[in-house]
Amino acid sequence: MRGTSFRTLIQALAMGATLALAGGAQAQGYPSEPINYVIPFNPGGESDVSARFQQAVFEQVAGVKTVIQYMPGAGGAKGWSKLNSMPGDGYTMMGINLPHAILQPMQKDVGYKTEDLVSVHYFHYTPDAIFVQKDSPIKTLGDLIEQARKTPGAVTFSGSSSYSSNHLAQARLDELAGIKTTYIPFSGTGPAIAAVLGKQTVAGFNFATSAIAHADSMRMLAVATEQRMPAFPDVPTFRELGYDLVGGAYRGLAVPSSTPEDARRKLSAIISGINAEPEFRKKMEDGGFVLIDIDYEKMPAFMAAKQKEYGELADKLGIKPR
Amino acid sequence: MEFLGSFSGAFTSFNLLIALAGVTLGLVIGALPGLSATLAVAVLVPFTFTMAPASGLIALGAVYMGAIAGGSFSAILINTPGTPSSIATTFDGYPMAQRGDGGLAITLAVLASTIGGVVGVVALWGLAPPLADVALAFGPPEYFWLAVLGLTLISALSAGNTLKGLIGAAIGLLLSTVGVAVVGGDVRYTLDTQVLLGGIDITSALIGFYCVPVVLDLVATRAPHLKLPGNGGYRIAHAVRIMLAGKLNLLRSSAIGTLVGILPGAGGSIAGLIAYAEARRASKYPERFGKGEPDGLIATETSNNATVGGGFIPTLVLGIPGTPPDAIILGALLVQGIRTGPSLFDPQGDGAIYTFMAGLMIAALLVLPVGLLIGRYAYRAILSIPKPLLVPSLAFLTIIGSFAIHSDPSDTQMMLALGVAAWLLQKAGFSPSPIVLGLVLGQIAEQGFVQAYLIGSAQNDLPGMFFGRPISLVILAVVVLTLAYPLVVKWFKSRQAGRLSEIGEILAHEGQPEQKPFRDTPAIVFGGLFAILGILAWLEARDMSAMGSVFPTTLSLVWVSLSLALVARQAFKPKAPRATPDGSERPSTPRRVLLVAVMTAWAVLMPVLGFFVSSLAAFLSITAIASFERMSPRTLVVNLVSGIVIVGAFYMLMSQALGLRMPEGIGF
Repeated sequence: MRGTSFRTLIQALAMGATLALAGGAQAQGYPSEPINYVIPFNPGGESDVSARFQQAVFEQVAGVKTVIQYMPGAGGAKGWSKLNSMPGDGYTMMGINLPHAILQPMQKDVGYKTEDLVSVHYFHYTPDAIFVQKDSPIKTLGDLIEQARKTPGAVTFSGSSSYSSNHLAQARLDELAGIKTTYIPFSGTGPAIAAVLGKQTVAGFNFATSAIAHADSMRMLAVATEQRMPAFPDVPTFRELGYDLVGGAYRGLAVPSSTPEDARRKLSAIISGINAEPEFRKKMEDGGFVLIDIDYEKMPAFMAAKQKEYGELADKLGIKPR
Repeated sequence: MEFLGSFSGAFTSFNLLIALAGVTLGLVIGALPGLSATLAVAVLVPFTFTMAPASGLIALGAVYMGAIAGGSFSAILINTPGTPSSIATTFDGYPMAQRGDGGLAITLAVLASTIGGVVGVVALWGLAPPLADVALAFGPPEYFWLAVLGLTLISALSAGNTLKGLIGAAIGLLLSTVGVAVVGGDVRYTLDTQVLLGGIDITSALIGFYCVPVVLDLVATRAPHLKLPGNGGYRIAHAVRIMLAGKLNLLRSSAIGTLVGILPGAGGSIAGLIAYAEARRASKYPERFGKGEPDGLIATETSNNATVGGGFIPTLVLGIPGTPPDAIILGALLVQGIRTGPSLFDPQGDGAIYTFMAGLMIAALLVLPVGLLIGRYAYRAILSIPKPLLVPSLAFLTIIGSFAIHSDPSDTQMMLALGVAAWLLQKAGFSPSPIVLGLVLGQIAEQGFVQAYLIGSAQNDLPGMFFGRPISLVILAVVVLTLAYPLVVKWFKSRQAGRLSEIGEILAHEGQPEQKPFRDTPAIVFGGLFAILGILAWLEARDMSAMGSVFPTTLSLVWVSLSLALVARQAFKPKAPRATPDGSERPSTPRRVLLVAVMTAWAVLMPVLGFFVSSLAAFLSITAIASFERMSPRTLVVNLVSGIVIVGAFYMLMSQALGLRMPEGIGF
């Protein structure tokens, strides 16, 4: 009897082993075995999707596979607060996002400090953008701002969670345009977009990446990049329209602080290598991601600049630096 | 694309093999608590990158389909939902297994899963673009009312003591607010620890609430886990007769499952709960629900497999995932270069989507033979494994299951703490199901409420927001019907009996036919404790933002009042006389205490000693605790070898097949 249940197990194991061995040859030295890639968010969001894109070419560049796992909670803070207690042998890395990782510790005790996290590379950002459902009477950013002037507070924006990039962008637009709008936080980009499509809110402050899947059903009014995005040549930037709003969610990789220097550099080089793959580049840019390469060397300057920038913005959101 | 053409596309030997392997793997993973459909799909995604898009999708869809069906096995056999979708399966499935009808329950679950799965795929195939609009019509107020509808199950789940059920639900709802709030960003009830920052993980809570009490009761007596079946085997003919008698139930539950699956942010657990509630309301014998009523099991298992097809509808048409596994599949689609949208269903397209849907249909049908086979093996295994091996195996399942969710030992510690608390509460008459109900529905209720409140305030039309939208009103009507129906029936009956009775009196006695005449001392102790905790929770809520404090404030006040009502009701009853021993075996408290001690050490030492070393040590210790006879040298060897094989096999499954990073510590 024990034999039969055991047989089921063996079958499951055999299947798993075949799958695991399908990987093929492994390179010498570091890295020599699969690297764990922890996403501190739920699957299906931008962080997960971009990690999946990277996973598809990871082995080609690094010589080993990467295994994606999820540790969602507290808008990323659950994972980041645990990062430094994870093994620092170079085989665990975790996605890290800005402004989250800077704003969260500023606002409250979330179990980590921004300075404690070791970022090795920032590889892209998804610009904030305003969307309306395609049948909306609002055709331009001007229409939207005019409506907000007429009825202060009545224009509602859906966005992904509180104190996020979307939330920050909404607060900045309010300030720059001298209007008052209402931000409605949702549990992620998916539900926030559903709210725009279902006309639950007047508009959405989401990421430009959402324009790809919903090109036929939503209108992008403006995007928070410096120049127009290649994927959306017809969509004006906020700057063109007179509002100095550039920003979005930056995504990168962090490692436990016990990870040795050469492993940090190697991981940064791997990510740069992935970003340089022409096919990967094209897929990401078509998807509305703006690729950047802030490698390990450039990290201190980048983080210092971002901490200053978000620190000033935090005041406007009403977050008191602790 | 022709109907037959797409089927022939799916019928390549590779696609058939993929579907078969996927369903098999899914059924096994789904049956292991903690190893959920989401985890199975997440692990498999990279292997689909090298396949043709349609084959890759079939593999993922088949695993998903199998896992949701497999979740019923552990729900029936060990009272622990294998995936959150099978929560309501435990209500009737486990009582059936306990009384010796486990084989029938498994056959029913597999049949129901197959039918639900097929209906979901048919809806996906024929109605995807129009049904996707349902997802969009559901706004925050609708989600709020949907959660309220789910909460009406409290009265059903606490038959005998509605007050305790309500207290349990308040606890669950409050637990759901722990962590960083999505709306408002408040940090709530974390007791200044990092562990609680992300909130209480539902999967680890399920394992704790349902499985730990089973293990604790199992270790305390010699009695077998399940009653041996009088008539064994599949009992397929019997099962088919039951299914045919409940055609309407099948239809209703499939429809509920498909529709709830379409709603992003709802998912299989809620579909199962709502289908269960509706089946009970429509049943001629609502009082049998919760005591092993096949219709309850059928409703849940039909609806949760229907969410698979339903969930693909918004995923494929809108690019918005319907359920968590869909979210991962959506990522895989994007990497494959498949653009979601109504054009995907364009008959002039390349037809990959039709090949996928045909493959998913095949997977839904394969659940029947493969499910019956695996389900029977699982049932026999649970029946025949001797107690000294069954107890450590189940304890091991709780530990690995809670660890596997996020490869996080703190989830395991949380699981154990909640499990021991659930056992104590259960002994005092607070059943775990209302708590789980609150925990599962709390976030949906709160987010829906606060978002609706914000939007309603912005539009200056709060009443219209909550009571002026057609879908909201329909759900609200069902809520009222569900609550009022039993009262109306009773009132009618009492009128017929010629005895006019006040509705209020009926309300007071609803669901409490057997009021104990004597004082319930544990209830007084817990009631007092809850009142104090509730006041503390209320005090902490005063420091939260307006958005973040609405729910905690309301809930803590409700909790305090209900708890005080419980205390007041019990305090004036006469003391119970000392119970006289009735000759049956007395549960062994030392064994329970020892088991909790070993499991605590296990959860704490796992990161220090390493997963394999700590698990083997704990497994063998628990074998000793669960042995009621002196072990012969032969049994000793058998147990030792079994322990090594079981722990080793799962270690390999987790670290090699699933690629999880296991805690190493000083061992491995």
